[in-house]
Amino acid sequence: MEEVLQLLLGGLKIGAIYSLAALGIVVIHKATKTVNFAHGALIMLGAYFGFFLLRLLGLPYALVYLLAPLAVGSLAAGTEWLLLRRLRRADAFAVVISTIFIALAVTELIRVVYRSDLLSMPRVWSGPPWLVGDLILTRETLWIIAGAFCLAVAGASLFAAARFGRPMRAMASSLRGAQLCGYSVDGVYAQAWFLGGTLAGLAGLFLAPVMGITPELADIMIVPAFVAAILGGFDSIKGAVLGGLALGLIETFAAAYLSSAGKNALTFLILLCVLLWRPRGLFPEYRLRDV
Amino acid sequence: MFDHRPLRIAWRDIAGPCGLTLAIALLALACGTYVQYVVSLCLIAAIIGVALVLIVGFARVIMLTGGAMMAVGAYASTVLVARFDVPYLISVLAATVLGGVTGAVVAVPASRFRGHYLAMATLVFQFVIIIGLREWPGVTGGAAGLNVPNARLFGYVLASDWQYVVFIGIGATVAVAILAAILCGQYGKALRAISATEIGAESFGIDVARYHLVAFAVSSAAIAFAGGLLAPRVRILDPESFGFASSVFMLAYPVVGGMHSVWGGLLGGMILRALPEALRVGQELQGLIYAILVVAVMTFFPHGLIGAMDRLARQARPVRKKFAAPSAIAIPATPAGARSEQLHDGATALEMSDVSVSFGALRAVDRLSLRVRAGTIHGVIGPNGAGKTTLFNAISGFIAVDCGTIRLFERSLSGEPPRRRIHHGMTRTFQNVALFGPLTCIDNAMLGLGRNAIGESLAASLAQAVAAPGYRARREAALEALAAVGLDHLADRHAQLLSLGDQRRLELARAIASRPRLILLDEPVSGVSREEEAGILSLLRRLSGERSITMLVIEHNIQFVRRLCDRVSAMSMGRLLAQGDPETVINDPQVRSIYFGEQNGAASD
Repeated sequence: MEEVLQLLLGGLKIGAIYSLAALGIVVIHKATKTVNFAHGALIMLGAYFGFFLLRLLGLPYALVYLLAPLAVGSLAAGTEWLLLRRLRRADAFAVVISTIFIALAVTELIRVVYRSDLLSMPRVWSGPPWLVGDLILTRETLWIIAGAFCLAVAGASLFAAARFGRPMRAMASSLRGAQLCGYSVDGVYAQAWFLGGTLAGLAGLFLAPVMGITPELADIMIVPAFVAAILGGFDSIKGAVLGGLALGLIETFAAAYLSSAGKNALTFLILLCVLLWRPRGLFPEYRLRDV
Repeated sequence: MFDHRPLRIAWRDIAGPCGLTLAIALLALACGTYVQYVVSLCLIAAIIGVALVLIVGFARVIMLTGGAMMAVGAYASTVLVARFDVPYLISVLAATVLGGVTGAVVAVPASRFRGHYLAMATLVFQFVIIIGLREWPGVTGGAAGLNVPNARLFGYVLASDWQYVVFIGIGATVAVAILAAILCGQYGKALRAISATEIGAESFGIDVARYHLVAFAVSSAAIAFAGGLLAPRVRILDPESFGFASSVFMLAYPVVGGMHSVWGGLLGGMILRALPEALRVGQELQGLIYAILVVAVMTFFPHGLIGAMDRLARQARPVRKKFAAPSAIAIPATPAGARSEQLHDGATALEMSDVSVSFGALRAVDRLSLRVRAGTIHGVIGPNGAGKTTLFNAISGFIAVDCGTIRLFERSLSGEPPRRRIHHGMTRTFQNVALFGPLTCIDNAMLGLGRNAIGESLAASLAQAVAAPGYRARREAALEALAAVGLDHLADRHAQLLSLGDQRRLELARAIASRPRLILLDEPVSGVSREEEAGILSLLRRLSGERSITMLVIEHNIQFVRRLCDRVSAMSMGRLLAQGDPETVINDPQVRSIYFGEQNGAASD
């Protein structure tokens, strides 16, 4: 029983991070109709920016948690403004392809600067873990589950909020209509990338103490982020958060009771099953009329 | 007159790339062993580049599993040779088949939803395969790698670089020839038609999901074939060299070269594979330079190197006098009255009884019964929201009816998907023109012939490559349809460059090419000029008379309906309001009040 509960905690911990990651993908996709294959790279950048601010500039953790995600968000918005905007004019398909190569460029750049060494971040909270019965709850675990989950909910409500989110939701439902209502496409797209990038940066920050920091994070995170988003229906904000938690739990239990290879095979199997039988995800935003 | 154009296309897009591939392999014989080694790798990349043009450029699916598919081919052929003593050539063929099957398995769930879901499924599959190779050391040698024996052909062992470059050159030429024939032929055109308009494609017998599935399987098979050729060349296989990074590198081949032509994939593959050898900078900088190069090419040359070369060539060429494209307006008009005696009552073309279609609580079509006699032109009028287009979508199968039956020439249509309706002798045009824009007029008409089942179109592609008589016959039929609407002089013009009036004519040509018995015309003159309207009017009457085609026409232009139609039905709120000859229906007081908004029955147009 304790073992199951312990696994549950572990699953929620990684799941909350997946939620943040998936949420960023869904926000960008909903508002700009772009599937962002560079999301893993943005998450990795969040971790590296955190390391840079914390270890090299010696900033306190509170400031790091504020600045690093905003930096990633600005970078994402800048990429949209300077590069993707031009490409989109020619062909929306090219934008998606370009995110793959932008991810490669970012990852390779980090590799050139930092090599492939495994860097580490100190824990956010020090102090002895709590014991609940035989259950060990570290401060780190609690911080990640509670912090990442709350921030994911905050991000989701920001998207739903009137001032910030309305133009994005307007674009999501009708691009031309939103344009005619006076919303600037370029501005709103940059905003969406900013929000998505910030969420990715946060995911990277939460991830850094858990997994360590390497350029590989980009590749490691892109698959669970996509699978979590698809589980949630890919266009559902609520679904992304729930999908992340569900994937974290499934992976943790599969790794414990099957094997690490089994975990990966199961991820793929789940993806295929969802695509086959529930293409609109396990937690769709709304029911489509059957037309 | 002997038509040389098909032969010229075959020469330029099939024989050309094959010739280049073979020539490069033979030229390498004159060089040192290192060059021969690099050329072997480039030839393999050329196969992959052309295979990716098919899936990325034509089907517009982002394929991120190139590395894994290559691993499937390389490992399968090696294991077959080393463990089971299978002859090398047969093992490569088996690996190719295995690659195709694997590709189909990956694509089956995702091809129903297409696009980015398939891209994400390929991404996940890529990681799963590499993990599988690493975690299954008993068969694959695991992370330590798998030794590959020298290739043995008919008892003759390939050992030196020149032997490999010749063998790989021949293999690459064969693969490029097959892929190029598929790409340039009917199959490739149908794929591009899908990316232009899926509804239009579906209406002319193209099974969208199955086309995507086959495209994915063919690409995967070609990449697995390339893997099988590569295995003995690299001596040792390790999972990492087929990792996600290699898939991304491969994706760059068609992107950089130009993803809409065989040449683009071919050149992109060869140039990018040779690039790291030519650059000779530090290993750690190569990935970064590669990525920046790709993004730069995408930004500045959106159509790749081939697109850039085309543009240069066009600028260099002296500007030919732009020939003024005569529009097809001038068509001898047949007097409207001359046709009415051809009407033969009796046979029923289309019979709908008690058909209902609802969207939630809204009944768009409400227990509607309608009979269209064979050989007539039957108009449907009514205010917006009356259910006219819904009715058309129900007849052409895009919307399922709730109840009631639709019978076409005495045969029930229930349960038939839209793409099968063309085989029952029914085609349609669209309110918002749904042409295959990037294709030429003649290609649009050829797809309109409707023989677009997968097997047929693959066979047609190969027939075209050798300019077989079957292909010529189909081309003649398509030209004849273009001539019938007066567009034969624009046969090689791209559909998206035509004026709206000519686009509506081209839709007609596409619709009549398969010699249907019934055509559904959804607002055939909306948005066209007055003169063009008269032209289309006489054209429709002529087509209906000469080819005895029954027509069901939705149109808001009442003068047009009055002059065109033999019978008219007026719809409102999903029900039939009135039915009869045009004058009676148009002057019906109820129709006048609902459709024209008149208070009393006073006639005025």
